[in-house]
Amino acid sequence: MPLGKKRIGIVCPYGWDTPGGVQSHVGDLAEYLIAQGHHVSVLAPAINDEGLPEYVTSAGRPIAIPYNGAVARVLFGPLAFARVKQWISSGNFDLLHLHEPAIPSISLLACWAAEGPLVGTFHAASTRQKIAFAITPFIEPVIEKLTARIAVSEAARETLQIHLDTDAVVVPNGIYAKRFANAHVDDRWSGNTLGFIGRFQEPRKGLSILVHALPRIIEAVPDIKVIVAGPGNPVDVLDSMEPHLRNRFTFLGRISEEDKANFMSSVAVYVAPNTGGESFGIILAEALAGGASVLASNIPAFDSLLGHGEYGTLFTSEDSRDLAEKAIDLIQNPAKRRQLAVRGSEYAKNFDWDVVAESIYDIYEMAMVGSTGVTLSSDNRAWNKLLGRNS
Amino acid sequence: MNKYFLGFLIIAILAWYLSFLATRLDRLHGRVETSWANLDGLLQRRAAIAIEIARSDIADPASALLLTFTAHQAREASVRDRSQAESGLTGALSILLENSETISAPIELDLVRELDELTAKIKVAISMHVEAVSRTQMVRKKFLIRLFRLAGHAPAPVVYEFEGDVF
Repeated sequence: MPLGKKRIGIVCPYGWDTPGGVQSHVGDLAEYLIAQGHHVSVLAPAINDEGLPEYVTSAGRPIAIPYNGAVARVLFGPLAFARVKQWISSGNFDLLHLHEPAIPSISLLACWAAEGPLVGTFHAASTRQKIAFAITPFIEPVIEKLTARIAVSEAARETLQIHLDTDAVVVPNGIYAKRFANAHVDDRWSGNTLGFIGRFQEPRKGLSILVHALPRIIEAVPDIKVIVAGPGNPVDVLDSMEPHLRNRFTFLGRISEEDKANFMSSVAVYVAPNTGGESFGIILAEALAGGASVLASNIPAFDSLLGHGEYGTLFTSEDSRDLAEKAIDLIQNPAKRRQLAVRGSEYAKNFDWDVVAESIYDIYEMAMVGSTGVTLSSDNRAWNKLLGRNS
Repeated sequence: MNKYFLGFLIIAILAWYLSFLATRLDRLHGRVETSWANLDGLLQRRAAIAIEIARSDIADPASALLLTFTAHQAREASVRDRSQAESGLTGALSILLENSETISAPIELDLVRELDELTAKIKVAISMHVEAVSRTQMVRKKFLIRLFRLAGHAPAPVVYEFEGDVF
Protein backbone atom coordinates (compact mmCIF):
# COMPACT_ATOMS: atom_id res chain seq x y z
CA MET A 1 0.00 0.00 0.00
CA PRO A 2 1.48 3.37 -0.94
CA LEU A 3 1.81 5.89 1.82
CA GLY A 4 -1.42 7.71 2.63
CA LYS A 5 -3.61 5.32 0.64
CA LYS A 6 -5.98 3.54 2.95
CA ARG A 7 -8.31 0.58 2.92
CA ILE A 8 -11.71 1.92 3.89
CA GLY A 9 -14.85 -0.08 4.55
CA ILE A 10 -18.21 1.71 4.34
CA VAL A 11 -21.42 0.15 5.61
CA CYS A 12 -24.75 1.30 4.21
CA PRO A 13 -27.75 0.15 6.27
CA TYR A 14 -30.42 0.46 3.57
CA GLY A 15 -31.06 -1.65 0.48
CA TRP A 16 -28.72 -0.58 -2.30
CA ASP A 17 -31.27 -1.11 -5.07
CA THR A 18 -33.81 1.33 -3.63
CA PRO A 19 -32.97 4.97 -4.26
CA GLY A 20 -32.47 7.10 -1.16
CA GLY A 21 -30.39 9.86 0.34
CA VAL A 22 -28.11 7.64 2.41
CA GLN A 23 -27.44 5.24 -0.46
CA SER A 24 -26.50 7.96 -2.92
CA HIS A 25 -24.36 9.67 -0.29
CA VAL A 26 -22.47 6.42 0.33
CA GLY A 27 -22.09 5.78 -3.40
CA ASP A 28 -20.76 9.26 -4.12
CA LEU A 29 -18.38 9.15 -1.18
CA ALA A 30 -17.05 5.73 -2.19
CA GLU A 31 -16.50 6.86 -5.78
CA TYR A 32 -14.76 10.02 -4.64
CA LEU A 33 -12.42 8.12 -2.32
CA ILE A 34 -11.65 5.55 -5.04
CA ALA A 35 -10.79 8.40 -7.41
CA GLN A 36 -8.35 9.61 -4.76
CA GLY A 37 -6.60 6.25 -4.91
CA HIS A 38 -7.97 4.64 -1.77
CA HIS A 39 -9.26 1.11 -1.64
CA VAL A 40 -12.96 1.23 -0.78
CA SER A 41 -15.43 -1.57 -0.14
CA VAL A 42 -19.11 -0.90 0.58
CA LEU A 43 -21.25 -3.44 2.40
CA ALA A 44 -24.97 -3.01 1.79
CA PRO A 45 -28.12 -5.10 1.66
CA ALA A 46 -29.28 -5.74 -1.90
CA ILE A 47 -32.27 -7.46 -3.45
CA ASN A 48 -30.39 -8.34 -6.59
CA ASP A 49 -26.66 -9.09 -6.55
CA GLU A 50 -26.31 -8.46 -10.25
CA GLY A 51 -25.73 -4.95 -11.48
CA LEU A 52 -24.11 -3.79 -8.27
CA PRO A 53 -21.09 -1.52 -8.69
CA GLU A 54 -17.77 -3.33 -8.33
CA TYR A 55 -17.08 -1.80 -4.93
CA VAL A 56 -20.35 -2.99 -3.35
CA THR A 57 -20.61 -6.29 -1.50
CA SER A 58 -24.10 -7.58 -0.84
CA ALA A 59 -24.96 -8.55 2.73
CA GLY A 60 -28.20 -10.26 1.75
CA ARG A 61 -31.79 -9.39 0.96
CA PRO A 62 -33.17 -6.44 2.94
CA ILE A 63 -36.36 -6.64 4.98
CA ALA A 64 -38.92 -3.86 4.48
CA ILE A 65 -40.15 -2.26 7.69
CA PRO A 66 -42.18 0.93 8.05
CA TYR A 67 -39.96 3.50 9.65
CA ASN A 68 -40.02 7.27 10.12
CA GLY A 69 -42.91 7.82 7.72
CA ALA A 70 -41.44 5.72 4.95
CA VAL A 71 -40.52 2.13 4.26
CA ALA A 72 -36.97 1.36 5.28
CA ARG A 73 -35.21 -1.62 3.75
CA VAL A 74 -32.89 -2.86 6.45
CA LEU A 75 -31.15 -6.13 7.27
CA PHE A 76 -30.31 -7.97 10.47
CA GLY A 77 -30.27 -11.47 11.90
CA PRO A 78 -27.66 -14.18 12.48
CA LEU A 79 -26.90 -14.76 8.81
CA ALA A 80 -26.38 -11.06 8.17
CA PHE A 81 -24.19 -10.85 11.27
CA ALA A 82 -22.02 -13.70 10.00
CA ARG A 83 -21.66 -11.97 6.63
CA VAL A 84 -20.72 -8.69 8.31
CA LYS A 85 -18.05 -10.42 10.38
CA GLN A 86 -16.72 -12.23 7.36
CA TRP A 87 -16.55 -8.97 5.40
CA ILE A 88 -14.68 -7.24 8.23
CA SER A 89 -12.14 -10.02 8.77
CA SER A 90 -11.40 -10.50 5.08
CA GLY A 91 -11.35 -6.80 4.24
CA ASN A 92 -8.24 -5.91 6.22
CA PHE A 93 -9.54 -2.39 6.67
CA ASP A 94 -7.72 0.58 8.14
CA LEU A 95 -11.03 2.19 9.03
CA LEU A 96 -14.74 1.49 8.96
CA HIS A 97 -17.26 4.18 8.16
CA LEU A 98 -20.72 3.19 9.44
CA HIS A 99 -23.82 5.01 8.27
CA GLU A 100 -26.80 5.29 10.60
CA PRO A 101 -25.34 2.96 13.25
CA ALA A 102 -28.29 3.62 15.57
CA ILE A 103 -30.73 1.96 13.22
CA PRO A 104 -31.28 -1.81 13.50
CA SER A 105 -29.41 -2.80 10.39
CA ILE A 106 -25.96 -4.00 9.33
CA SER A 107 -24.18 -0.79 10.43
CA LEU A 108 -25.14 -1.56 14.00
CA LEU A 109 -23.98 -5.15 13.57
CA ALA A 110 -20.67 -3.99 12.13
CA CYS A 111 -20.21 -1.57 15.01
CA TRP A 112 -20.84 -4.42 17.43
CA ALA A 113 -18.44 -6.80 15.70
CA ALA A 114 -15.54 -4.48 14.90
CA GLU A 115 -12.74 -3.10 16.98
CA GLY A 116 -10.49 -0.23 15.88
CA PRO A 117 -11.05 3.10 14.15
CA LEU A 118 -14.78 3.44 13.55
CA VAL A 119 -16.45 6.55 12.19
CA GLY A 120 -20.23 6.85 12.35
CA THR A 121 -22.42 9.17 10.29
CA PHE A 122 -25.90 10.00 11.53
CA HIS A 123 -28.36 11.09 8.89
CA ALA A 124 -31.76 10.91 10.55
CA ALA A 125 -33.26 13.92 12.26
CA SER A 126 -36.59 13.51 13.90
CA THR A 127 -38.06 13.98 17.30
CA ARG A 128 -40.60 11.27 16.63
CA GLN A 129 -38.17 8.40 16.79
CA LYS A 130 -39.07 7.67 20.39
CA ILE A 131 -39.71 3.98 19.72
CA ALA A 132 -36.55 3.44 17.78
CA PHE A 133 -34.55 5.07 20.50
CA ALA A 134 -36.30 3.17 23.29
CA ILE A 135 -33.58 0.58 22.81
CA THR A 136 -31.00 3.23 23.77
CA PRO A 137 -29.58 1.25 26.75
CA PHE A 138 -28.60 -1.51 24.33
CA ILE A 139 -27.33 0.80 21.66
CA GLU A 140 -25.31 3.08 23.91
CA PRO A 141 -22.34 0.75 24.55
CA VAL A 142 -22.23 0.02 20.83
CA ILE A 143 -22.40 3.64 19.68
CA GLU A 144 -19.74 4.40 22.27
CA LYS A 145 -17.24 2.37 20.24
CA LEU A 146 -17.29 4.96 17.46
CA THR A 147 -14.05 6.89 17.44
CA ALA A 148 -15.64 9.85 15.72
CA ARG A 149 -19.20 10.84 14.98
CA ILE A 150 -20.46 12.87 12.07
CA ALA A 151 -23.92 14.41 11.79
CA VAL A 152 -25.07 15.57 8.36
CA SER A 153 -26.92 18.59 9.70
CA GLU A 154 -27.52 20.60 12.84
CA ALA A 155 -30.91 18.88 13.08
CA ALA A 156 -29.29 15.44 13.02
CA ARG A 157 -26.79 16.57 15.62
CA GLU A 158 -29.57 17.74 17.91
CA THR A 159 -31.41 14.44 17.53
CA LEU A 160 -28.22 12.69 18.53
CA GLN A 161 -27.74 14.93 21.55
CA ILE A 162 -31.28 14.38 22.75
CA HIS A 163 -31.60 10.65 22.15
CA LEU A 164 -28.12 9.30 22.62
CA ASP A 165 -26.55 12.02 24.73
CA THR A 166 -23.52 12.32 22.51
CA ASP A 167 -22.08 15.06 20.35
CA ALA A 168 -21.01 14.99 16.72
CA VAL A 169 -19.13 17.04 14.17
CA VAL A 170 -21.37 18.44 11.45
CA VAL A 171 -20.28 17.64 7.91
CA PRO A 172 -22.97 18.27 5.29
CA ASN A 173 -23.93 15.86 2.53
CA GLY A 174 -22.09 16.35 -0.72
CA ILE A 175 -23.21 17.22 -4.24
CA TYR A 176 -21.31 17.44 -7.50
CA ALA A 177 -21.60 21.20 -7.85
CA LYS A 178 -19.75 21.19 -11.18
CA ARG A 179 -22.42 19.04 -12.78
CA PHE A 180 -24.96 21.70 -11.89
CA ALA A 181 -22.82 24.64 -12.92
CA ASN A 182 -22.82 23.42 -16.54
CA ALA A 183 -26.61 23.11 -16.76
CA HIS A 184 -28.57 25.02 -19.38
CA VAL A 185 -32.14 26.32 -19.50
CA ASP A 186 -34.58 23.86 -21.10
CA ASP A 187 -37.54 25.57 -22.81
CA ARG A 188 -39.92 22.77 -21.88
CA TRP A 189 -39.60 23.65 -18.22
CA SER A 190 -38.97 27.40 -18.22
CA GLY A 191 -41.54 30.17 -17.94
CA ASN A 192 -43.90 30.53 -15.01
CA THR A 193 -43.23 27.08 -13.63
CA LEU A 194 -43.03 25.51 -10.22
CA GLY A 195 -40.69 22.53 -9.93
CA PHE A 196 -40.98 19.59 -7.58
CA ILE A 197 -38.69 16.55 -7.34
CA GLY A 198 -39.28 13.53 -5.12
CA ARG A 199 -41.38 10.46 -4.44
CA PHE A 200 -44.55 12.52 -4.72
CA GLN A 201 -46.87 9.82 -3.41
CA GLU A 202 -45.28 9.91 0.04
CA PRO A 203 -47.34 12.28 2.22
CA ARG A 204 -44.26 13.70 3.95
CA LYS A 205 -42.97 15.04 0.63
CA GLY A 206 -45.94 17.41 0.77
CA LEU A 207 -47.14 17.53 -2.84
CA SER A 208 -50.74 17.78 -1.60
CA ILE A 209 -49.91 21.07 0.12
CA LEU A 210 -48.75 22.44 -3.20
CA VAL A 211 -51.93 21.14 -4.85
CA HIS A 212 -54.05 22.95 -2.24
CA ALA A 213 -52.14 26.17 -2.79
CA LEU A 214 -52.54 26.04 -6.55
CA PRO A 215 -56.02 27.62 -6.98
CA ARG A 216 -54.81 30.71 -5.14
CA ILE A 217 -51.66 30.90 -7.25
CA ILE A 218 -53.70 30.54 -10.46
CA GLU A 219 -55.73 33.64 -9.53
CA ALA A 220 -52.56 35.73 -9.48
CA VAL A 221 -50.56 33.95 -12.16
CA PRO A 222 -53.00 32.47 -14.73
CA ASP A 223 -50.37 30.61 -16.77
CA ILE A 224 -48.71 28.80 -13.88
CA LYS A 225 -47.52 25.23 -14.51
CA VAL A 226 -46.30 22.59 -12.08
CA ILE A 227 -43.61 20.15 -13.20
CA VAL A 228 -43.12 17.07 -11.06
CA ALA A 229 -40.18 14.70 -11.37
CA GLY A 230 -39.59 11.53 -9.42
CA PRO A 231 -40.76 7.93 -9.24
CA GLY A 232 -44.42 7.18 -8.60
CA ASN A 233 -47.78 6.72 -10.27
CA PRO A 234 -49.23 10.10 -11.32
CA VAL A 235 -52.72 8.67 -11.97
CA ASP A 236 -53.48 8.34 -8.25
CA VAL A 237 -52.42 11.91 -7.61
CA LEU A 238 -54.30 13.32 -10.59
CA ASP A 239 -57.48 11.44 -9.64
CA SER A 240 -57.48 12.94 -6.18
CA MET A 241 -57.39 16.56 -7.35
CA GLU A 242 -60.06 18.77 -8.88
CA PRO A 243 -60.41 18.42 -12.67
CA HIS A 244 -59.49 21.99 -13.57
CA LEU A 245 -56.14 21.63 -11.84
CA ARG A 246 -55.11 18.47 -13.71
CA ASN A 247 -53.90 20.14 -16.89
CA ARG A 248 -51.53 22.30 -14.86
CA PHE A 249 -49.41 19.28 -13.98
CA THR A 250 -46.69 17.61 -15.98
CA PHE A 251 -45.20 14.39 -14.60
CA LEU A 252 -41.75 13.53 -15.90
CA GLY A 253 -41.14 10.32 -13.94
CA ARG A 254 -37.60 9.66 -12.84
CA ILE A 255 -35.07 11.93 -14.58
CA SER A 256 -31.34 11.63 -15.17
CA GLU A 257 -28.76 13.59 -13.20
CA GLU A 258 -28.11 15.77 -16.23
CA ASP A 259 -31.81 16.49 -16.69
CA LYS A 260 -32.07 17.26 -13.00
CA ALA A 261 -29.43 19.96 -13.36
CA ASN A 262 -31.24 21.45 -16.37
CA PHE A 263 -34.55 21.19 -14.51
CA MET A 264 -33.13 23.25 -11.63
CA SER A 265 -31.82 25.91 -14.00
CA SER A 266 -35.10 26.12 -15.89
CA VAL A 267 -37.96 26.26 -13.41
CA ALA A 268 -38.97 29.66 -12.07
CA VAL A 269 -39.27 28.43 -8.49
CA TYR A 270 -38.26 25.11 -6.99
CA VAL A 271 -40.80 24.15 -4.31
CA ALA A 272 -40.04 21.79 -1.41
CA PRO A 273 -43.21 21.50 0.68
CA ASN A 274 -41.91 18.58 2.80
CA THR A 275 -43.67 18.23 6.12
CA GLY A 276 -40.84 16.55 8.02
CA GLY A 277 -38.69 13.47 8.26
CA GLU A 278 -36.05 15.28 6.27
CA SER A 279 -32.62 15.50 7.82
CA PHE A 280 -30.55 17.43 5.35
CA GLY A 281 -32.40 18.25 2.18
CA ILE A 282 -29.76 17.40 -0.40
CA ILE A 283 -32.26 18.28 -3.11
CA LEU A 284 -32.27 21.91 -1.94
CA ALA A 285 -28.48 22.03 -2.11
CA GLU A 286 -28.76 20.71 -5.67
CA ALA A 287 -31.47 23.23 -6.51
CA LEU A 288 -29.25 26.05 -5.26
CA ALA A 289 -26.26 24.71 -7.18
CA GLY A 290 -28.40 24.59 -10.32
CA GLY A 291 -29.33 28.23 -9.86
CA ALA A 292 -32.98 27.76 -8.92
CA SER A 293 -34.72 30.09 -6.52
CA VAL A 294 -36.03 27.91 -3.75
CA LEU A 295 -39.27 28.00 -1.81
CA ALA A 296 -39.24 25.50 1.05
CA SER A 297 -41.23 24.65 4.16
CA ASN A 298 -39.64 25.88 7.38
CA ILE A 299 -38.89 22.43 8.83
CA PRO A 300 -35.61 22.53 10.84
CA ALA A 301 -33.44 20.87 8.19
CA PHE A 302 -34.52 23.26 5.43
CA ASP A 303 -34.42 26.27 7.72
CA SER A 304 -30.80 25.62 8.60
CA LEU A 305 -29.76 24.63 5.07
CA LEU A 306 -31.24 27.83 3.63
CA GLY A 307 -29.51 29.94 6.26
CA HIS A 308 -32.85 30.85 7.89
CA GLY A 309 -34.10 32.32 4.65
CA GLU A 310 -30.98 33.96 3.32
CA TYR A 311 -30.54 31.60 0.37
CA GLY A 312 -34.14 30.72 -0.29
CA THR A 313 -37.66 31.62 0.80
CA LEU A 314 -39.32 29.74 3.64
CA PHE A 315 -43.04 29.26 4.24
CA THR A 316 -44.82 27.90 7.30
CA SER A 317 -44.82 24.13 6.99
CA GLU A 318 -48.18 22.55 6.04
CA ASP A 319 -49.72 25.99 5.41
CA SER A 320 -50.82 26.08 1.77
CA ARG A 321 -52.05 29.69 2.07
CA ASP A 322 -48.59 30.84 3.08
CA LEU A 323 -47.03 28.73 0.33
CA ALA A 324 -49.31 30.40 -2.24
CA GLU A 325 -48.48 33.92 -1.06
CA LYS A 326 -44.73 33.34 -1.08
CA ALA A 327 -44.87 31.61 -4.46
CA ILE A 328 -46.84 34.47 -6.04
CA ASP A 329 -44.42 36.99 -4.61
CA LEU A 330 -41.44 35.13 -6.06
CA ILE A 331 -42.96 34.59 -9.49
CA GLN A 332 -44.00 38.21 -9.88
CA ASN A 333 -40.60 39.40 -8.76
CA PRO A 334 -37.87 38.19 -11.16
CA ALA A 335 -35.25 40.53 -9.69
CA LYS A 336 -35.67 38.99 -6.26
CA ARG A 337 -35.50 35.51 -7.75
CA ARG A 338 -32.29 36.26 -9.58
CA GLN A 339 -30.74 37.72 -6.46
CA LEU A 340 -31.63 34.62 -4.43
CA ALA A 341 -30.32 32.34 -7.15
CA VAL A 342 -26.97 34.11 -7.38
CA ARG A 343 -26.46 34.07 -3.62
CA GLY A 344 -27.63 30.46 -3.47
CA SER A 345 -25.35 29.06 -6.14
CA GLU A 346 -22.35 30.70 -4.49
CA TYR A 347 -23.37 29.21 -1.14
CA ALA A 348 -23.92 25.76 -2.69
CA LYS A 349 -20.18 25.48 -3.36
CA ASN A 350 -19.83 24.59 0.33
CA PHE A 351 -21.60 21.32 -0.42
CA ASP A 352 -19.32 20.30 -3.26
CA TRP A 353 -17.76 16.87 -2.84
CA ASP A 354 -14.28 18.39 -3.04
CA VAL A 355 -14.98 20.28 0.18
CA VAL A 356 -17.14 17.69 1.93
CA ALA A 357 -14.98 14.63 1.23
CA GLU A 358 -11.92 16.54 2.40
CA SER A 359 -13.57 17.22 5.77
CA ILE A 360 -14.63 13.59 6.05
CA TYR A 361 -11.13 12.40 5.23
CA ASP A 362 -9.67 14.74 7.87
CA ILE A 363 -11.87 12.98 10.39
CA TYR A 364 -10.75 9.58 9.09
CA GLU A 365 -7.14 10.58 9.60
CA MET A 366 -7.78 11.65 13.17
CA ALA A 367 -9.66 8.47 13.93
CA MET A 368 -6.80 6.38 12.59
CA VAL A 369 -4.15 7.99 14.79
CA GLY A 370 -2.15 5.32 16.58
CA SER A 371 -4.20 2.41 15.29
CA THR A 372 -3.17 -0.72 13.47
CA GLY A 373 -6.44 -1.27 11.68
CA VAL A 374 -9.84 -2.82 12.14
CA THR A 375 -10.17 -6.25 13.72
CA LEU A 376 -13.05 -8.37 14.92
CA SER A 377 -13.67 -7.84 18.60
CA SER A 378 -14.27 -11.59 19.03
CA ASP A 379 -10.66 -12.23 17.97
CA ASN A 380 -9.43 -10.11 20.84
CA ARG A 381 -11.29 -11.96 23.55
CA ALA A 382 -9.01 -13.56 26.08
CA TRP A 383 -10.60 -17.01 25.99
CA ASN A 384 -10.44 -17.20 22.22
CA LYS A 385 -6.74 -16.39 22.36
CA LEU A 386 -6.23 -19.03 25.05
CA LEU A 387 -8.00 -21.63 22.99
CA GLY A 388 -6.00 -20.61 19.94
CA ARG A 389 -9.22 -19.85 18.10
CA ASN A 390 -8.56 -17.30 15.44
CA SER A 391 -11.20 -17.30 12.82
CA MET B 1 -29.13 -29.30 42.64
CA ASN B 2 -31.25 -26.83 40.80
CA LYS B 3 -30.36 -24.18 43.33
CA TYR B 4 -26.64 -24.62 42.68
CA PHE B 5 -27.20 -24.51 38.97
CA LEU B 6 -29.10 -21.25 39.26
CA GLY B 7 -26.38 -19.81 41.47
CA PHE B 8 -23.74 -20.84 38.96
CA LEU B 9 -25.72 -19.31 36.12
CA ILE B 10 -26.06 -16.00 37.94
CA ILE B 11 -22.35 -15.93 38.69
CA ALA B 12 -21.53 -16.76 35.07
CA ILE B 13 -23.76 -13.98 33.79
CA LEU B 14 -22.31 -11.52 36.26
CA ALA B 15 -18.78 -12.52 35.28
CA TRP B 16 -19.62 -12.05 31.61
CA TYR B 17 -21.20 -8.67 32.30
CA LEU B 18 -18.22 -7.53 34.34
CA SER B 19 -15.80 -8.53 31.63
CA PHE B 20 -18.01 -6.72 29.12
CA LEU B 21 -17.95 -3.58 31.28
CA ALA B 22 -14.20 -3.83 31.77
CA THR B 23 -13.59 -4.13 28.01
CA ARG B 24 -15.87 -1.20 27.41
CA LEU B 25 -14.03 0.95 29.94
CA ASP B 26 -10.62 -0.17 28.71
CA ARG B 27 -11.55 0.82 25.17
CA LEU B 28 -12.67 4.23 26.40
CA HIS B 29 -9.43 4.76 28.31
CA GLY B 30 -7.52 3.88 25.18
CA ARG B 31 -9.58 6.34 23.21
CA VAL B 32 -8.98 9.16 25.68
CA GLU B 33 -5.25 8.57 25.27
CA THR B 34 -5.19 8.46 21.48
CA SER B 35 -7.54 11.39 21.06
CA TRP B 36 -5.37 13.39 23.44
CA ALA B 37 -2.19 12.40 21.60
CA ASN B 38 -3.82 13.51 18.36
CA LEU B 39 -5.04 16.81 19.82
CA ASP B 40 -1.70 17.46 21.50
CA GLY B 41 0.15 16.91 18.23
CA LEU B 42 -2.12 19.32 16.37
CA LEU B 43 -1.79 21.97 19.09
CA GLN B 44 2.00 21.64 19.04
CA ARG B 45 1.93 22.20 15.29
CA ARG B 46 -0.24 25.26 15.79
CA ALA B 47 2.27 26.68 18.26
CA ALA B 48 5.07 26.04 15.77
CA ILE B 49 3.18 27.86 13.04
CA ALA B 50 2.47 30.72 15.44
CA ILE B 51 6.18 31.10 16.07
CA GLU B 52 6.83 31.10 12.35
CA ILE B 53 4.19 33.77 11.88
CA ALA B 54 5.81 35.79 14.66
CA ARG B 55 9.10 35.68 12.73
CA SER B 56 7.49 36.61 9.42
CA ASP B 57 6.68 40.05 8.07
CA ILE B 58 3.04 39.88 9.11
CA ALA B 59 3.83 40.55 12.73
CA ASP B 60 4.82 43.95 14.06
CA PRO B 61 7.40 43.80 16.87
CA ALA B 62 4.82 44.01 19.66
CA SER B 63 2.59 41.25 18.37
CA ALA B 64 5.64 39.16 17.49
CA LEU B 65 6.67 39.35 21.11
CA LEU B 66 3.19 38.49 22.35
CA LEU B 67 2.85 35.64 19.88
CA THR B 68 6.22 34.09 20.72
CA PHE B 69 5.47 34.37 24.40
CA THR B 70 2.01 32.78 24.20
CA ALA B 71 3.23 30.06 21.82
CA HIS B 72 6.01 29.03 24.21
CA GLN B 73 3.61 29.18 27.11
CA ALA B 74 1.21 26.86 25.27
CA ARG B 75 3.98 24.40 24.48
CA GLU B 76 5.30 24.21 27.98
CA ALA B 77 2.05 24.37 29.92
CA SER B 78 1.27 21.50 32.26
CA VAL B 79 -1.75 19.38 31.45
CA ARG B 80 -4.02 21.34 33.75
CA ASP B 81 -3.00 24.78 32.50
CA ARG B 82 -3.00 23.74 28.89
CA SER B 83 -6.50 24.88 28.02
CA GLN B 84 -5.87 28.39 29.34
CA ALA B 85 -2.50 28.66 27.63
CA GLU B 86 -4.03 27.62 24.31
CA SER B 87 -6.73 30.26 24.77
CA GLY B 88 -3.97 32.82 25.19
CA LEU B 89 -2.39 31.74 21.93
CA THR B 90 -5.74 31.84 20.14
CA GLY B 91 -6.26 35.38 21.42
CA ALA B 92 -2.84 36.51 20.25
CA LEU B 93 -3.35 34.95 16.82
CA SER B 94 -6.76 36.48 16.38
CA ILE B 95 -5.51 39.98 17.23
CA LEU B 96 -2.84 39.64 14.58
CA LEU B 97 -4.96 37.97 11.88
CA GLU B 98 -8.05 40.09 12.39
CA ASN B 99 -7.46 41.81 9.09
CA SER B 100 -5.56 39.09 7.32
CA GLU B 101 -6.94 40.09 3.92
CA THR B 102 -4.22 42.75 3.75
CA ILE B 103 -1.56 40.03 3.57
CA SER B 104 -0.29 39.55 0.04
CA ALA B 105 3.12 37.83 0.19
CA PRO B 106 2.77 34.17 -0.89
CA ILE B 107 4.82 32.75 1.99
CA GLU B 108 2.69 34.50 4.56
CA LEU B 109 -0.50 33.53 2.76
CA ASP B 110 0.64 29.91 2.93
CA LEU B 111 1.19 30.25 6.64
CA VAL B 112 -2.26 31.71 7.19
CA ARG B 113 -3.89 29.04 5.03
CA GLU B 114 -2.06 26.29 6.91
CA LEU B 115 -3.22 27.79 10.18
CA ASP B 116 -6.82 27.86 8.94
CA GLU B 117 -6.70 24.20 7.94
CA LEU B 118 -5.14 23.28 11.23
CA THR B 119 -7.78 25.18 13.18
CA ALA B 120 -10.53 23.23 11.45
CA LYS B 121 -8.81 19.97 12.36
CA ILE B 122 -8.24 21.07 15.93
CA LYS B 123 -11.94 21.78 16.33
CA VAL B 124 -12.75 18.22 15.31
CA ALA B 125 -9.98 16.81 17.51
CA ILE B 126 -11.32 18.77 20.48
CA SER B 127 -14.83 17.48 20.03
CA MET B 128 -13.53 13.91 19.69
CA HIS B 129 -11.46 14.25 22.83
CA VAL B 130 -14.14 15.96 24.92
CA GLU B 131 -16.57 13.25 23.87
CA ALA B 132 -14.15 10.48 24.88
CA VAL B 133 -13.46 12.11 28.24
CA SER B 134 -17.09 12.70 29.16
CA ARG B 135 -18.07 9.17 28.08
CA THR B 136 -15.27 7.69 30.16
CA GLN B 137 -16.27 9.68 33.18
CA MET B 138 -19.87 8.63 32.77
CA VAL B 139 -18.99 4.95 32.56
CA ARG B 140 -16.54 5.19 35.48
CA LYS B 141 -19.35 6.48 37.66
CA LYS B 142 -21.37 3.30 37.16
CA PHE B 143 -22.04 1.46 40.40
CA LEU B 144 -20.69 -1.94 39.34
CA ILE B 145 -17.54 -0.40 37.91
CA ARG B 146 -16.81 1.38 41.16
CA LEU B 147 -17.74 -1.62 43.29
CA PHE B 148 -15.38 -3.98 41.47
CA ARG B 149 -12.78 -1.27 40.79
CA LEU B 150 -12.83 -2.07 37.10
CA ALA B 151 -11.04 1.17 36.30
CA GLY B 152 -7.95 -0.28 37.99
CA HIS B 153 -5.05 2.11 38.13
CA ALA B 154 -5.98 4.03 35.00
CA PRO B 155 -5.89 7.73 35.86
CA ALA B 156 -9.21 9.56 35.71
CA PRO B 157 -9.31 11.65 32.54
CA VAL B 158 -8.98 15.39 32.98
CA VAL B 159 -11.74 17.62 31.71
CA TYR B 160 -10.59 20.44 29.50
CA GLU B 161 -12.57 23.52 28.73
CA PHE B 162 -11.29 23.55 25.19
CA GLU B 163 -14.69 24.19 23.63
CA GLY B 164 -14.32 27.91 23.16
CA ASP B 165 -10.56 27.99 22.96
CA VAL B 166 -9.98 27.68 19.30
CA PHE B 167 -11.90 29.65 16.76
